[in-house]
Amino acid sequence: MSTMSYRDAVAKALQDSMRDEPRLIIIGQNLAGHALKPLVETYGEDRVQDCSISESAMVGMAVGAAMKGWKVVVMIAYADIASVCHMAIAQSAAKLPYLTNGRLDCPVIIRLPIARFRGHGPEGNEVGVSWFYNVPDLNIAMPGSANEAYWNFREALQHPTPTLFFEDRSIHTRSGEITEDSPGGKAQITRSGDRLTIIAAGRTAALAEDAADEMAKHGDGHAVEVVSLGFIKPLDKETILKSASKTGRVLIVQDEPPWSGYAPYVRCLLDELPAGSLAAPPRIIAGADQYLPFWDERPFLPSLEGVAATAVEMMR
Amino acid sequence: MTATRTTPDAGSRSAIEWKLYVNMLTTRLFEEALVRWEHQGKISAQTFPSKGQEAIAIGCCLALERGDAVIPSFRTRGAMVAMGITIVEQLREFIHSPLAAGDSRDAPHHASWPERGVMPGSTMIGGHLAMAAGLALAMQLERKGEISLAFFGDGTLGSGDLHETMHIAGMSRLPLILVCENNGWEMATSWQKVRKTQSLIPYAEPFGFATRSIDGNDALEVYSAARWARATASDGQPVFLDCMTFRAGLYSSHFGEVRGGVEKDLAAWEKRDPLKKMTEWLIGHGLASAEDLERVSQQEEQRIEDTLREVLAETASATKELG
Repeated sequence: MSTMSYRDAVAKALQDSMRDEPRLIIIGQNLAGHALKPLVETYGEDRVQDCSISESAMVGMAVGAAMKGWKVVVMIAYADIASVCHMAIAQSAAKLPYLTNGRLDCPVIIRLPIARFRGHGPEGNEVGVSWFYNVPDLNIAMPGSANEAYWNFREALQHPTPTLFFEDRSIHTRSGEITEDSPGGKAQITRSGDRLTIIAAGRTAALAEDAADEMAKHGDGHAVEVVSLGFIKPLDKETILKSASKTGRVLIVQDEPPWSGYAPYVRCLLDELPAGSLAAPPRIIAGADQYLPFWDERPFLPSLEGVAATAVEMMR
Repeated sequence: MTATRTTPDAGSRSAIEWKLYVNMLTTRLFEEALVRWEHQGKISAQTFPSKGQEAIAIGCCLALERGDAVIPSFRTRGAMVAMGITIVEQLREFIHSPLAAGDSRDAPHHASWPERGVMPGSTMIGGHLAMAAGLALAMQLERKGEISLAFFGDGTLGSGDLHETMHIAGMSRLPLILVCENNGWEMATSWQKVRKTQSLIPYAEPFGFATRSIDGNDALEVYSAARWARATASDGQPVFLDCMTFRAGLYSSHFGEVRGGVEKDLAAWEKRDPLKKMTEWLIGHGLASAEDLERVSQQEEQRIEDTLREVLAETASATKELG
């Protein structure tokens, strides 16, 4: 058990996976010269493959290598670029096990760092989860803590179907404890409370934790429960419904616009609860339905103040 | 072998020339039957006949070795035939037999038998080429000398994935063979409307591929080029085979013929029909007589008809058992 930053947790997951999985390779750009220098020194350029700026072919190649029983991590520079390789993800990678009637697995991770708040502008600050949410057999991880970052990554490589790993750079320096055991793909209750459940993933899970802590400082201790989803697909329905039943109030926070994504899906899931289970209608705080300007993305995204204010209002 | 011999003996039947002939014959008759059966309502899957182009898939796949992998295009049923996938196994996929290895999930032209080297293709034109490169990358890492081969039509030149794949494979020296079935048409559009040269070699060469332009209607030439390509790719030099040919059959069983003004071309290419060419070769070299081959053809046609009946009966009984 150790404490480390979110960024280091991802790096450690990659290192430990390379150590434990002799048939794992990494494909990406600028790996040997920059991003993964130490891994190249340990495992050589065979297992850490530098590639040209050909994201679509990189994902397609990962699928081909998987056909021969290899596991592959595809390093995409940032999440927006998932649009460049959408075909390879949605057609080639996600469908391989289905199309072959399970005779071929596709244990591939496509690493997609979310790069907001770094001045990349509207073509470099998207999340893009919703572009893929309706693709069957595609796992989507959106870790909100160092522990989730580490374990979601390790678990993804054990899946027979591919995983999009949306790592959020805006919480890279946030530290947390890495547990000895894997949470096994389950959502994590990161703050325990009894009056309101905030369900979130990635940066918004961290935001929800901060909001819960702020509210505790102002006398609302143990009121807010935070469910950090980690894997938003498959989704840990059990933990969500259990927490919703316990608190009776649910606020769902996501960084993307509300048309699609885990927020509207979780909102629908709550309909499975017996009538009268909830004390208040569930609410969603989502990103604005617009692109995010490079000079400041924050006004258009869920904020700590906004989450806290809505939580207080819901508990009134 | 003498010129007077009229019946192929066991020795000659194991010869590559005989295998090329038989595999092309099976593919031709099977595809004709598939179109017929579909129009008769016996099966319901679209077929993209490879008539006139059979030598390419078969010449290439018969040149492969154990452990090699092939990704067919949508017009290379001959690849499945030459890789040893029986008509029974293929038909099971067409009719969703409970015994279909792939559970009839993928379209029948993309059906796969991974454990026997026939990998799933992609309906996204060019998408499968990157997968073939990934297979080749795995083979390069495993160092067993295996190679990966993918088929595609010349219209794939417009796909970004072809260029990305050639870019990577050329630099990484992947054991990859790209086989272009260059019939000069992308559905209803002739090559002159969409590119500068009919040959794709000027596009492939600068990426670092060893290239050869060959007569795609000459099964022996395809086979010998594919043997060279296999040895070359296995040594770490990717190969691009540009196989010049012409589609003599329908675009597909659904669309029929979609090209305008090809009557003269069809007549000219009819004389270069690959099956006819191989038939003449076998007769000319005394490996068979015209009568032998006519008999073989009739027997094969009957076998294919019988196979549908068997597979339908087998499916009915398996369904009942599951029932």
